[in-house]
Amino acid sequence: MVNFTVDEIRGMMDKKRNIRNMSVIAHVDHGKSTLTDSLVSKAGIIAGARAGETRFTDTRKDEQDRCITIKSTAISMYFELEEKDLVFITNPDQREKSEKGFLINLIDSPGHVDFSSEVTAALRVTDGALVVVDCVSGVCVQTETVLRQAIAERIKPILFMNKMDRALLELQLEAEELYQTFQRIVENVNVIIATYNDDGGPMGEVRVDPSKGSVGFGSGLHGWAFTLKQFSEMYADKFKIDLVKLMNRLWGENFFNAKTKKWAKQKDSDNKRSFCMYVLDPIYKVFNAIMNFRKEEIDSLLTKIGVTLKHEDSDKDGKALLKVVMRSWLPAGEALLQMIAIHLPSPVVAQKYRMEMLYEGPHDDEAALGVKNCDPEAPLMMYVSKMVPTSDKGRFYAFGRVFSGKVATGQKARIMGPNYQPGKKEDLYEKTIQRTILMMGRYVEAIEDVPSGNICGLVGVDQFLVKTGTITTFKNAHNMKVMKFSVSPVVRVAVEPKNPADLPKLVEGLKRLAKSDPMVQCINEESGEHIVAGAGELHLEICLKDLEEDHACIPIKKSDPVVSYRETVGEESNQMCLSKSPNKHNRLFMRACPMPDGLPEDIDDGKVNPRDDFKTRARYLTEKYEYDLTEARKIWCFGPEGTGPNLLVDCTKGVQYLNEIKDSVVAGFQWAAKEGVMAEENLRGVRFNIYDVTLHTDAIHRGGGQIIPTTRRCLYACLLTAAPRLMEPVYLCEIQCPEVAVGGIYGVLNRRRGHVFEESQVAGTPMFVVKAYLPVNESFGFTADLRSNTGGQAFPQCVFDHWQILPGDPSEPGSKPYAVVQETRKRKGLKEGLPDLAQYLDKL
Amino acid sequence: MFYLIGLGLGNAKDITVKGLEIVKKCDKVLLEGYTSILTVGHNVLEEFYGRPIIIADRELCESHIDKFLMEARDDDIALLVVGDPLGATTHTDMLLRAKQLGVRTEIIHNASIMNAVSCCGLQLYNFGETISIPYWTETWKPDSFYEKIIGNYTRNLHTLCLLDIKVKEPTEESLTKKVRQYMKPKFMTVSEASTQLLHIIKENQNSGLTEDTLAVGLSRVGAPDQRITVLSLKDMQTHELGPPLHSLVIPSPNLHPLELDYLAQFR
Repeated sequence: MVNFTVDEIRGMMDKKRNIRNMSVIAHVDHGKSTLTDSLVSKAGIIAGARAGETRFTDTRKDEQDRCITIKSTAISMYFELEEKDLVFITNPDQREKSEKGFLINLIDSPGHVDFSSEVTAALRVTDGALVVVDCVSGVCVQTETVLRQAIAERIKPILFMNKMDRALLELQLEAEELYQTFQRIVENVNVIIATYNDDGGPMGEVRVDPSKGSVGFGSGLHGWAFTLKQFSEMYADKFKIDLVKLMNRLWGENFFNAKTKKWAKQKDSDNKRSFCMYVLDPIYKVFNAIMNFRKEEIDSLLTKIGVTLKHEDSDKDGKALLKVVMRSWLPAGEALLQMIAIHLPSPVVAQKYRMEMLYEGPHDDEAALGVKNCDPEAPLMMYVSKMVPTSDKGRFYAFGRVFSGKVATGQKARIMGPNYQPGKKEDLYEKTIQRTILMMGRYVEAIEDVPSGNICGLVGVDQFLVKTGTITTFKNAHNMKVMKFSVSPVVRVAVEPKNPADLPKLVEGLKRLAKSDPMVQCINEESGEHIVAGAGELHLEICLKDLEEDHACIPIKKSDPVVSYRETVGEESNQMCLSKSPNKHNRLFMRACPMPDGLPEDIDDGKVNPRDDFKTRARYLTEKYEYDLTEARKIWCFGPEGTGPNLLVDCTKGVQYLNEIKDSVVAGFQWAAKEGVMAEENLRGVRFNIYDVTLHTDAIHRGGGQIIPTTRRCLYACLLTAAPRLMEPVYLCEIQCPEVAVGGIYGVLNRRRGHVFEESQVAGTPMFVVKAYLPVNESFGFTADLRSNTGGQAFPQCVFDHWQILPGDPSEPGSKPYAVVQETRKRKGLKEGLPDLAQYLDKL
Repeated sequence: MFYLIGLGLGNAKDITVKGLEIVKKCDKVLLEGYTSILTVGHNVLEEFYGRPIIIADRELCESHIDKFLMEARDDDIALLVVGDPLGATTHTDMLLRAKQLGVRTEIIHNASIMNAVSCCGLQLYNFGETISIPYWTETWKPDSFYEKIIGNYTRNLHTLCLLDIKVKEPTEESLTKKVRQYMKPKFMTVSEASTQLLHIIKENQNSGLTEDTLAVGLSRVGAPDQRITVLSLKDMQTHELGPPLHSLVIPSPNLHPLELDYLAQFR
């Protein structure tokens, strides 16, 4: 632990080249938090007065009980590189001259998929990521998800192979086998990186490479770790060979013949893989000697590796001794912190290429340049990525990153929510920042101001932002881009207070809940129902517990979880649909048709989006989806919310004054896209074409009051005549288990309409990985069911994957979708039965 | 029988004798209250006719009138409309629907701003297309009516501009919700209309009109406190013409000497 006063920390903040903002990401149970603890215990900064009270991450009681991280936590660390290591930093923007100390802001985030929105929020404020992979289970579904997100946010990854102790002690892998395992994981990770990153792109090459030192190995639990750099240092002198050259030799197809002292690129009978010989062999020796209680061998080994046992450790043996020895020989903190300081980018380096991903405005305005240059003298640009509850109930710290300028206590700033548009007043507040604070684990310290490149918290901003937002002092600043989550809130429950008189408390509690979690949605239905929507069962469970215990503080009744559906169409409308405005003088002629496969996903991923240049977008749509070029250029809007995967296309020819009603038609479309005709669920994958419009001669008779409701009626008619269908969300489910349990998994999946699409053995282990698609609606109680059918041996991870049509015609009584529609309508307080086409379709 | 009865422009007594007789014998009387308003409240009418009347707002007239039309098959129903019953085009649709339902209809005409506008001295023969100026919102600023003004102007015709009234209009946000909320009633004044017009003129330089173009403002035509004023558009912006309703006329560029003489009284 490092004792620092706030002033000393503030001093470090100005040395922006020596700052590393990083997150730790991994699949659940791969040992992030344990690993983080070993970093913190080495270098964690605690303000002088707080020394002695440790235990930083996993601050919540439920986190400790469940042994999982639920909320991400930020910790600052201070670490000095030795002179000999400083030479590894070649980029002048990665280090201030004559400064050896590094300020590392680390965010430990949850690994369970249900909380990956926390990861997204963490990634936004950091520039680098330590990807932790359990070397026994390898790259898992969540590793891939978070890695993909990291690359998309232009976060540079480094890799750590955790749980080496298990590989050695439990699986008893041979050295060559272990090398192969490592090699495979590195390859898997690099394949993911290569898929989502373009080497020629602005971030350059980001793949991880053990021989460069950007891959670490070790055991977080036992507190030891190393990179090839550590071992090269041990041998460099002995071999009289350059450190960097040796690192290259210690990985990959490099073999050394001990007799002839010759290196070779190929294996033959006499030589041995250098990694096994120089890195793994010594470790194996230590393990074998200690675990087999060979006292003399231990002593001689200890002298060789230069470890002297402290007096209190001398009577330990077995695992306990192993821990002590390994920890003093290869201290995890040292190796990891070196990796972080050397391989992760400083804000100065990272913001150069991240600016265009972060900023919505023109890339050459003051704010953009400030962000790009990480300039503390430029106007303030700060992104608030999440809200952290304070000890004061109902109030939150706004947690985020200063990208440009300085944020200071008492400063007057513009607080812009995600709906702010430059030049407008909506979602904009000009307020004073009450206080800037440093957030260290669960402690906060007031600080005068915080310059660009640093992470901090703000007091007094929470009431103006729902979840996230941009804080700036630049009048013409645009928003920083909203974060894109990899999961969507597809599971929902309705909540109500046990005692109806508590309703106001519930409403207030829901508002707080919405703030406290980056993704959870709290919706007040027009029917008066209060809905909480989350990523999965576990996520909802935690949210509801927080709601009950912390935010509303009242007993709550909750409905069974239900799934949100999407409405779509199966074919083109079977007729031209006409709807007349209330005054009968305005007439709209439209049709609906399904989008080609892949387009809704392209829109979800932002490959096709409303901000694109319309010509570029039209070309893309024409080339990939064979849309008519003229029509593709006349996309009026996306919806719902202006960005969703449905399109409104103007296919009219020469209609006068069409522009005057465009806004009203768009408003009607947004409405209909949000609340579809069957069950008022969002639409997905529907394209609406406007073919003709007849308008009243007089502008006054074609205003919103006439056009908006008419558009909605017309769109509803289009949907009803285009074979309406329902879509349900589907999880990608990854299950790890021993071979004997595989049969049980199939049984459970079959009962739940799931289907297995991949089954494979984890190389080098007796474990199997089964991958399956499972409808979210069938996933409630899945984990428990699976455990009871496999004797507790199978452990699933479910992550939302795609939408899939629920087979059957929702308008046919007796079909599954019909039942879903009726259930949903009933829940929403809509008229039961089917929507009546005659209500929406007018006759000519 | 379904009667459409014009009420004229001023007060309760402007109804025609024929109209009044029908009102008295009808089973139900509706008062359409959104295309225009009378200078007196509906309670004055009830007192004058000696019978209750039902207020028919936009939703009733546009979406729920069928119910009354069905009744009109056997009973006598009257719909009172301020001005002339067919001045606002909405009601032609009502007559078509009545015909479909097999209901007999009769129209009792009355004076309308469309002809009473001649009180300012401009000859009705010289009027071109009539237009309406709608209230602009943050996002909706239609200006297509301006082309029509220019069309009339270049053909040396006057333009009668009817000004927007919002009696019971749903708010923009509530249009996409199930529960309707309504705006407070508001009526466009000649100064508001001139401001919007000047805005368009600024965007369309050299279109023919300028801020010095003459305009005629009229208020409460047909009522005892009727006012008429002739000013340039620029001055009209700041001119207060009293309580609603207002109308605006853009006279043709070359006026007949008689028109000029008559207008001169209002300068």
